[in-house]
Formats: sequence, C-alpha cells, structure tokens
Amino acid sequence: MLTLSVRCQRVSCQLLASSSTSPLVQTRSYATQPKKGQIVKQASQGFKGKKNTSSGQMEHAKKDKKMMAFQPLPVSQLPHPLFESDRPDTLALQSFHPEMLTRVAESQALKFPHNENDPFRIFGLPRNILVEFRLLSKPCSVIRSVTIDAINKLDAASDKNSKESRVVLTGPQGCGKSYLLLQALQYCNARDWLVLYIPRATNLVNSTTAHTYDMRTRTYSQPIFAYQTLQRFLKVNALRLEQLRTQTEIEIERRPPVPPGTPLVELINIGLKDQGHAPTVLGAVLEEIGKQTIFPVLLAVDDFQALYCKSHYRDQHFSAIKSYHLSMPRLLLEYASGQKSFARGAVFGALSMGNTTFPLPLELREALSLEHDRPCGPYVKRQPELVEYAHGLERLAVPGSLSVPEAASVFEVWMKDRAVPSKPNDELFLTKYSEASGNARAFVWKGLLSSMSA
Amino acid sequence: MNVLRRPSGLSKFRFYSTQTTRPFVPPASLNHFDFRQRQREKPRPTSPAFYTARPEFYDQLSSLESALQHAKTALTSCHLLPLPQFAREALPPRVNAWVDKRELGLKLRSTLTTSRYRRVVLVLNELETYRAIAEKAGIAELQEGIRGITELFERADAATMLARGKAKPVKFDEYGRSYTLGKRKTSSARVWIVPVQQPPADKSTASQSIPAATETDTALTALLDPISSSKSNEPVSVSQILVNNTPLSTYFPIPADRARVIHPIKLAGLLGAYNIFAIVRGGGTSGQSGAVAHGIAKGLAAHEPAIATILRKAKLLRRDPRMVERKKPGLAKARKRYAWVKR
Repeated sequence: MLTLSVRCQRVSCQLLASSSTSPLVQTRSYATQPKKGQIVKQASQGFKGKKNTSSGQMEHAKKDKKMMAFQPLPVSQLPHPLFESDRPDTLALQSFHPEMLTRVAESQALKFPHNENDPFRIFGLPRNILVEFRLLSKPCSVIRSVTIDAINKLDAASDKNSKESRVVLTGPQGCGKSYLLLQALQYCNARDWLVLYIPRATNLVNSTTAHTYDMRTRTYSQPIFAYQTLQRFLKVNALRLEQLRTQTEIEIERRPPVPPGTPLVELINIGLKDQGHAPTVLGAVLEEIGKQTIFPVLLAVDDFQALYCKSHYRDQHFSAIKSYHLSMPRLLLEYASGQKSFARGAVFGALSMGNTTFPLPLELREALSLEHDRPCGPYVKRQPELVEYAHGLERLAVPGSLSVPEAASVFEVWMKDRAVPSKPNDELFLTKYSEASGNARAFVWKGLLSSMSA
Repeated sequence: MNVLRRPSGLSKFRFYSTQTTRPFVPPASLNHFDFRQRQREKPRPTSPAFYTARPEFYDQLSSLESALQHAKTALTSCHLLPLPQFAREALPPRVNAWVDKRELGLKLRSTLTTSRYRRVVLVLNELETYRAIAEKAGIAELQEGIRGITELFERADAATMLARGKAKPVKFDEYGRSYTLGKRKTSSARVWIVPVQQPPADKSTASQSIPAATETDTALTALLDPISSSKSNEPVSVSQILVNNTPLSTYFPIPADRARVIHPIKLAGLLGAYNIFAIVRGGGTSGQSGAVAHGIAKGLAAHEPAIATILRKAKLLRRDPRMVERKKPGLAKARKRYAWVKR
C-alpha cells in the first residue's frame, strides 16, 4: 500500500485535469493520486489516537527509508577511516561501446555509460537489477556469448521489418535474461536506434495504475502509464525524434486532427499536456515511427509473460479483465505478434520465470516450444486470442549456467568492489560456482554475497 | 584256556549246585581239541570307543586330537613350540567361523550336546592356532595339511562372517566410477563419482613456434608479472553435480544444503576434479543433503585414499547416528513436558 502511494506520488500531473475533459473516467480509489505533499495512510491508527499531526511526518520518514533502500550514503557522510572513502577505485572497467562487442570481448565486464538521457535512468530498471546497481560502485555487466548472439540478431534486424524479428529471451530463473535485455537496449541506444523499454510489464496488469473504459476503442485505457511512457520516450530519444515528422493525419478525440508534417515532438507534447489523450497519442507515435525508415526501433519489454496473463483488474461483474482489453498491454501485444510493426527494428521480450503471480501461460509456452511442467493435453483450454498474439515469436535461449570465464569476470567485479564478505580466492570461486551450478543469480546472491567463510 | 569253556562233548553234563567243584580235566588231554571255531561270538570292536555312548563322535574327536598331536610334534621339532609370548602376540588375531552345533552333528554323524560341541571346537581352535604358526613360519606343507582338516569344519559363509563390521572396499567399474551409499536420518543416497575427463589440449601454431619454457622461467615470470601470467589459457575444469537428475542449485534451493553437499569436496580440495551423480530418496531437504554429502565423502575416500584421513577427522565418513527421538507417554513430545499445574 505504501509503495503504491509512493509511486503515485512520483507523477506530477493530476488525474483531475483529465476528468474535466473526458466525462467517463472510472478510477478506483487505490489508483487515485493524492494531492502533492499529502500521503495516503492506509494503516489503522492503533490504540494511541490523535496522532494525525505527527503521523504525516512519521509516514514521510518511512517513505524515505523505502526509497533509500540499498542506496549508498554519500562520501561526505562517511568520514570514518574504516570506510576508506579516499581509496582509489579498483574497479577499472572499460565502457560499454558498441564497436567493442565482438567475440573477443566475451566474458569481459564493461560498465554502462552514465548520461543525462540514459535509458536506465529514465525508463527505470527491474527490481533485482536496480538493487544490484545500487550495491555496485557503477552499473556494469559481463559480455557473454549469448550477448554477441543477441547483438548479431539486432544488427540483422536493423534493416528488416520488426515482424521478422520478434525475439523472446528464455531460460531458467536467474540465468541473465533481464541483463541481456539491458545490454541489447544499451547497444541499440548507442547505435542510434529509437528505444522504448518497459522494465516491469507486471505493472501494466497488476492494477496499480488507473484504468478507464474508453467508449471509442471499447477497451480499458491506462492514461497515466501511457503518459509516463510518452514522457520517458521523449526524454531518451529527444535528439532523434526532433528529426522526425508525421506522415499522415492523426485524429485525436476532443481536439482537431493533427496535420501531416507535424514534428513528432509536438505530437508527443499534445499527449503530455492532457493525460486523457496519452494512450491515443502513444499509439499514433508508435505508428509514425513504425512508418519511417531513418531510425530502427527497439521495443524491449521485461516480464514479457505478464502481457499474456489475466490482469488483476476487475470489471463491474468482478471478472478479471483480459490483458488484451487494456490499452498498454494490447499495444505491446500487437507489436509482439506482428499485427503492427516497425519498418525497421525489432521487438525483444524477456521472460520472468520466478514470478508466481504472473506465471508463464500455456499459450506462450507452446509458441516458444518450451518444456511443460504441468498437464497440457488437448483438453486443457487455450485462449485463441492469446494463441494469435503469441504466434511467430522467436526464442533466444539464454544458457542456464555461466561459463567459467564469464563467472570469473562476475566474481572479479564483485571482488574488486569489495562486496564479497569472504576471502576472495580460487576456492571460494569454485565452491560457489559448483553450489550454484553456474546459475548467475544463485552464484552472486546466494553464493558470494550471502556467505562468509574464512 | 578258560576253564569255564568246556568241550562240546561234555556239554551234556549238568552241573548242579550241589556239586561245588567241577571235575578236573587235565589240560594235556584237551590239547587235541580244536577250539578255533569257538572264537569270540562278538567280533573285536574296531575302535577303542566302541563301548562309549557315542562311538562315532569319539572316533572323530580322537582322530582330530591325534592330528593335533602330530601337528604339535611337528612344530616342536621345528622349535616353534612352545612359542614365546611376544611371538604369540605377533600372530594375527583370528576369529574362527566354525559350523554350528547342528551342522557339526551332521558332519560327525551324531547329535551333539553343547559340551561336546565345545570340546570339538576347542580342538579345532588349537589346530587353527598351529596352522597360523606354521603359516607365519612358512612351513607350507604342514600348513596345508592342517588346512585340509580345518576347512572341513568351516562355515560356508566364513568369509562374510569374518568381514562383518569391517568396511567393504569400494569397487570401481570399467569406467572408473565409484558407487557408494550415504545415509542421514531417514534419507538414503546412492552416489556415483567419476573423474572429470580433461579434453585434449589443442595445440596452436603459436605455442609450437615458442620453445618450451622451463620451470624456472615460468616461476620467474609468475614472480615478476603475477597478473598477466596468472591469466593462463588452460581451461578450468568444474565439477558437475546432479541430484535426482537435476543440477544441485535446482534441487537444493537453500544455500546451507548446497554448502553441506559441497563441503567434503571442498575439504579434500577436489573441486573440479570429479563429476557426481546422486539418486536420493526419503526424508526432507536437510536429510537428503546430508545423505548425499555422506555418499560423496565415502566415494572421494575411495578415489583418493590419501584424503580419507582428512575426511575422517572432519567426521564426514561417519554416518550421523542422530535420528528423530520417539514420543514418550506422559510427555507432549520426546522431551517436552506438559505444563505443570500446581493443583
């Protein structure tokens, strides 16, 4: 509940503005936005009443604690010599540069660039990776053989229609699918592609963002999420979008149509001015960049399987709303299935196998020809719409275990950052590698960071 | 000549009790009578034990005792008996596995009582002792002779009886795999361990052109330039561990269980040397991990006897005897008592 209020707090624009223009707004109370400065408190008062004045401050402190989880303290607050704040940085990594990414650079750790408009900073990151980047001194990743494969795929896709390059990264839990997606994203951003990244697709379907029924499209639109996506998309791809213009007339409800030849930045600003227009504008913008052939486009979605699950939204009959009846997931599903496409570019999705609220559905499992772990005979129901949306997806299997040189690079990164509590020697490396059977997350989190040995 | 035996012709005479004295017949007049047909009505008994309760038994016993006596004399003639105390102690202690009372009775063709059985066993033990002395001294003939007697009375499964309680040596199959069992609480694990096969190193042209470096050269480079020389191109071999056909990290999600399985390999310093395949049944996660660790320790001790001491010191070769304690009446659980009420 608290994180919900925090997330809503982050959005600056208010929903009330849109309600004045679109009369049929149905928002749920949990998704309303509090006024700026006010924090919605959901917990009970307890025995000690009359704490209204101080509760606000208490909540404020709690909120800060949550936001600041794993955030390192600034150097000025660490004067004690034990912290060794003046120690020179031993983690000397080369920068992630697209030209470097060849087979020679395999099993090398490279640090991600830190820019103003860095896609990670703007779009956000999956939770696990966010925590890791907060622990490390600088965000970095190890180039694996599968990275080179993905990059080759992207290079091949840059000239083709995105319909032919719809790739889903698969593999067991903790094998590095989200990291690979990040590397692909950074590569495309460096290669001057237009990038759109959804780090946590579960947020689209777990009813944390407002949804309103749209009579025109007869689907539930998610205006706030669309608005945020537009904002971020504009910020990351600002320089590239300035060069693009619309090619057709675009109709937007309750305002005059946008003439062709309008700069795309202007079109996006229309959506940013009024949240109610954001879903339509987002769809139009994606269509426009799909028509142009100057820049290839990458649509990267993490937690890809959440788009194929039933959402946690409920309609008036209390039945779960299907994911393809929500505007944002529907848009992503259309591009993932090839019903809509970019003239140049690719759609990349990464599964999240450890999510139990949104497990991998049968239709997607069959489309990607993955192993079944439960009965899947002809008597098990498959939704035809989802089968259609999953048709033609290509699988890129991420190996379940790191190779020894890759694991050695990972070990070196954490060792040089002095995050390993045990003595970092060969024995520790081999022990933790064997215990984890090469699995990356198990190696780092349950192996290196969790255990202490002399 | 027995006076009581009368010639047949004189048998018609009756002797009444009134006649206290018999008629005197001079011995010379009886000389021409042939008494040979009047030999013993009963034949002389073949063995001196004929008039005992169990003649066969005593026959066998006496033959055994005579064999013992022969052996004793032979050893005495070789100056091996009487054996001094230190020499007796130097003999390997022998636990004998003789046939049981019923079997021995069948062999000796008479039912045996415990005391008779014990008597035979005593003799056999003595024989066995003399055989051991003869074997130690190297007198092959005597040793084989005694062995020929004692092996008749040994149990069929004497070898297994004597090996009871001793650890059986672990056998390797044609691929060099060891097969061991490990147990903990109610879990049991079957563990196969096979050495990791290093792939043959590919010889590149570059390495062929450079002359082979000597040991001192490599040591010198390692000293002067540790960082670059440590990054050798040799592939690092890694142990693959499969438990019930799934990788170790998948089967045991808890880090403590994984560490318990790896612990024997880590202590032995054999990480990357052996691949392990285990099938484990019964119990829960920690029991299964303990069973696998026990099996791995036994297998590694078989592959490398040198590290068996290290594993024994770390108590990894020992089957953990701790089991779940039973619930007792009057107690809530094994040790937990019910709440004490004053009244």
